[in-house]
Amino acid sequence: MPQTTESRQRITQLQDALRKSGLQAVVLEPGPAMVYLTGVRWGKSERTFAVVVPAKGEPTWVLPGFEEMRARELIHAGDDIRVWQEDESPYERIVAALHDRGIASGRVAIDDAARFFVFDGIRKLAPHLDYVSATPVLKATGISSQ
Amino acid sequence: MKRRDFLVSAAIGAAGMARAQRAQAPNPAAVPDTIKTLRPMTAGIQPISAGERQDRIEKARRLMRDNQLGAIVMESGSSMFYFTGVRRPADDRLFALVLPAKGEPAWIVPAVTPQIPPGNADVRAYVAGADDPYASLAGALRDRGAGSGRVGIEERVRFAVFDGLRHASPSHEFVSADPVTVGCRVIKSPAELALMQRANDITIAAYQAAFATLHEGMTQAELRGTIAAAYQALGVRGEAMVSFGKYTAFPHGSIEEQTLKEGDLVLVDDGCTVEGYQSDITRTRIFGHPTQRQKDVWALERKAQDAALAAAKPGATCESVDAAARKVITDAGFGPGYKVPGLPHRTGHGIGLDGHEWTYLVKGNQTRLQPGMCFSDEPMIAIYGEFGIRLEDCMYITESGARTFSKQSPAIDQPFG
Repeated sequence: MPQTTESRQRITQLQDALRKSGLQAVVLEPGPAMVYLTGVRWGKSERTFAVVVPAKGEPTWVLPGFEEMRARELIHAGDDIRVWQEDESPYERIVAALHDRGIASGRVAIDDAARFFVFDGIRKLAPHLDYVSATPVLKATGISSQ
Repeated sequence: MKRRDFLVSAAIGAAGMARAQRAQAPNPAAVPDTIKTLRPMTAGIQPISAGERQDRIEKARRLMRDNQLGAIVMESGSSMFYFTGVRRPADDRLFALVLPAKGEPAWIVPAVTPQIPPGNADVRAYVAGADDPYASLAGALRDRGAGSGRVGIEERVRFAVFDGLRHASPSHEFVSADPVTVGCRVIKSPAELALMQRANDITIAAYQAAFATLHEGMTQAELRGTIAAAYQALGVRGEAMVSFGKYTAFPHGSIEEQTLKEGDLVLVDDGCTVEGYQSDITRTRIFGHPTQRQKDVWALERKAQDAALAAAKPGATCESVDAAARKVITDAGFGPGYKVPGLPHRTGHGIGLDGHEWTYLVKGNQTRLQPGMCFSDEPMIAIYGEFGIRLEDCMYITESGARTFSKQSPAIDQPFG
């Protein structure tokens, strides 16, 4: 598990790669890439838990409200944590995070290990963005996404 | 509430992971006598028949036509198992099924595949690293008259697979396959209900045997190991999340090591698998003598659980069932909404081949209950710093109302009805 400084270095490296590839951000679900970058291990469930790493600016975490305490113990990379309650949409939080980082157009990379429903939820709320595979940019950062 | 997914890769840290693994491989010498005397409860289990799977495929085809989908695409997982009985262990390589609105299913599988799809199926094998499996997938869609237009993608298909397919076939519009997969899976047949009934019966037997071993100084890992051993003796795979004392307040437990002492509440959650179908039962009971506060909150929890059960009639909305349980809890001064102390999550989830599946007893869900739907009924009361109470029984909807698979817990010191 990377330490805070190591995690920060890896995120900075990813952000450099995002800019070089002309990508605005990457959205990660729990999995190898999230662990490598942030040290956060989380079980995938039907409740969306994601981190948005923009090319510029702090990462944003989007997670279920009642898991906040458990999640905060694990999250050291960034303190922008946005919870969604059971009757709210996690995708609204993700899209708002993109918006707050000034991302209104262009290409956003999606974790290859992300499930279709997560991508589909984001795409429905932000159909103007162009969603591409995160594999090349993750590989450039030394991460195998699967 | 299901801990199972979380135990696999959750935020429980390396030490927690090691404990979880020990719990799954109990030391035979440490297995208590009450567990050793258990015998398999698997006799007479009737797997889902080939005919029933064919009926499911027919229903899926009808739903595809209703939703203007030419086909749906899925990877190995619970939906593939539902329609075909084929399940392949997780593997990065593409192992996909095309289920078309017209014509036979087609499989795209790695050339060396240990589990070949059944019968004289249309199997299109590819050599990993040499052939393009997405070209095969697009070809299968074309061959079934779904070469353009809308194609449904099963919800858990990886983005990488969707991305490969859309590049191989840019003329398609790829949308969610949920109207088809959920439309089929959300209503359980008598054969499915029978398998779920068995899974629930086995979980109750495992908990009964394990609760007989409770003793002062017991660790949560020990109880977890005992329950895993009980499942093994009963002939199934299953596991449990265990919390003692103040840790019972955390919906998904805590990584802190806990030791049982007089006056602690004991919370045990999760279930087992029978022919792929899941059980999910929670019991919260006292070890020793309860305080008045524990008794009062326990009684309130049972009342909330009863309210959801009573509200779960055919035609009622899913959100109304959540509201019924939540009202009992908020009327007593907890909450409101998801605020703690109170009920921090929805009242229940669908259950079947997945421990959590569509549809959910949650505010905002106006889906109406129908006979054959199955849900957990688990409106917990979490009081951080003190304790939590969760009673969870799964229910199935009948024409005349909801029935539970397991008998509800009658009292704080009586976990089984």
